[in-house]
Amino acid sequence: MNIVVLAKQVPDAEAHIDIGEDGKGLTVEQKFTANVFDEFAMEEALRLKEKHGGKVKIITLGTGKATEVLRTGIAMGADEALLLEDGAFLNGDGYATALALSRAAAKEPFDVILCGRQAIDDDRGEVGPMVAQFLGIPHGGGIIKLDIADGTATVECPAEGGKEVLEVKLPALFTAQKGLNEPRVPPIMGVMKAMKAAIPRVAPAELGISPEEAGAAGSKVRTEKYFHPKKKAAVQMIQGEPQEAAVEAVRILMDVERIL
Amino acid sequence: MENLLLFIETKDKELKKASLELLGEAARLRAAGTYKVHGVIMGGVPEDVKKKVLPYVDVLANITGPALDRYTPEGFASALAGYAKEIAPKLILASATQTGRDFLPRVAVLLGSGIASDVTGIRWSEDPVKFVRPIYGGKVLSEVSFTGYPAVVTVRPNTFAGEEPGAEEGEYLERQAGIDPGQLRTKVLRREESGQGKVDLIEADIIVSGGRGLKSAENFKVLEDLAGTIGAAVGAARSVVDAKWRDQEDQVGKSGKTVSPKLYVAVGISGAIHHTMGMDTSKVVLAVNTDPNAMIFSYADYGIVGDFAQVVPAMTEEFRKRLGR
Repeated sequence: MNIVVLAKQVPDAEAHIDIGEDGKGLTVEQKFTANVFDEFAMEEALRLKEKHGGKVKIITLGTGKATEVLRTGIAMGADEALLLEDGAFLNGDGYATALALSRAAAKEPFDVILCGRQAIDDDRGEVGPMVAQFLGIPHGGGIIKLDIADGTATVECPAEGGKEVLEVKLPALFTAQKGLNEPRVPPIMGVMKAMKAAIPRVAPAELGISPEEAGAAGSKVRTEKYFHPKKKAAVQMIQGEPQEAAVEAVRILMDVERIL
Repeated sequence: MENLLLFIETKDKELKKASLELLGEAARLRAAGTYKVHGVIMGGVPEDVKKKVLPYVDVLANITGPALDRYTPEGFASALAGYAKEIAPKLILASATQTGRDFLPRVAVLLGSGIASDVTGIRWSEDPVKFVRPIYGGKVLSEVSFTGYPAVVTVRPNTFAGEEPGAEEGEYLERQAGIDPGQLRTKVLRREESGQGKVDLIEADIIVSGGRGLKSAENFKVLEDLAGTIGAAVGAARSVVDAKWRDQEDQVGKSGKTVSPKLYVAVGISGAIHHTMGMDTSKVVLAVNTDPNAMIFSYADYGIVGDFAQVVPAMTEEFRKRLGR
């Protein structure tokens, strides 16, 4: 079984983010980690391989720190990695990014593509379903269980007020979320292997992507500016004994905030 | 006049609140003469939903077919993109519910369009129209626009104030999807309900969430009582989900759900960043915690330092009295 994992190195949730003076650029504190949802995808890919055989290939798009997520994948047990590294790939919207990743994923025949439900930096949650549509394959979103037999996957997805059990014909893409598995800690041998691994790189032209289709140039959504959310006013503490404070809180919520 | 296409969701034969919110915003634009509004409902449409929707729209299209009886991303994307090709809208809007966020990206690809997901604001009067979306877990807002149309947008529930519809009813159309169910490679085998009529956290108006400070799974009963009294959904911090006190689907935060209710009551939650990034666009936040230095108070509008076991039941009691429940 050929399994492809799409993953992303993202700033840590606690990383400090500064906005440039003109609101144009962002400066991100250099604290990075593998996207939490992509770790569930990697783990599931390895479990599929352990059960059905085959190979796991991990793919990312980016420069510099981006490679780290590939090394994490190799350390966990991925067989191959591929880096879409070229200035032209950068600053793409969901569309341009998904187009590039879909071409990279389909360079070789595959059975399953796994990726995280969303990246915790841009929070778009678009790339998985878009890759599936570019490739004309079905997808299951935010899965919490995956079983494969006879070219068909049975998956569970939380659905509003319950969960749904779906049957999806392969090849297919699944986006992973918490609850799917517990990602393994890479073994020392894996970490050593990952440190030494040569990472193949690929440029847009090798994926049949023209300069107009790649990254910022190929994007259909343009960021005009960044700004900080409005600061909340300082918290108003409600004083008194528990009983009094509770009554006062209800009064504020109903009479001042008019919520109920 | 340009067309605005809305994807309208129903659940258990009723119009979803998030869809009603979108309809209200669309009706306002319709009344202002900015857009002609088309609503799309997939699968059968109950008569009272149809009646309720028509005053908000110029056209309500009900697209049916065996491939649309159950939600699948392939089927819904193909049907919505098909209708969009027919009317060439400037914008396609859907709520950023689980369903909306799941299949609208496919619609964008089918139309060769861009998508802005989970937006929390739309600046309609600007040219081009600007959309605001939180990134980095809400630490930064980005303002985006589209380089071409149609543009696809999903809107976080509780973004718009609900508006009343105009008096003039739109036209009702029925369409066959023309999708062969045999082409669909996804089949819904079954659906398992976990709670009767449980409101999804993403769409809830009020959320009462608990953390480690509740000390045990049983103590969530206190939150459920409050939630039941004020029609709230119950959320949870990561720690209590990891401890298996609550289901994964209840988790608010980085590895859970992002919510934006009118009121968020955080009980016994310390307020670590991985929690607050899932709730910091809530309109009003009330925090109850025994620790006066808890981080959660920095994200709250109102705070009570106290023991949940005393404060929360007293609140429930007072709400009951005042609401006559």
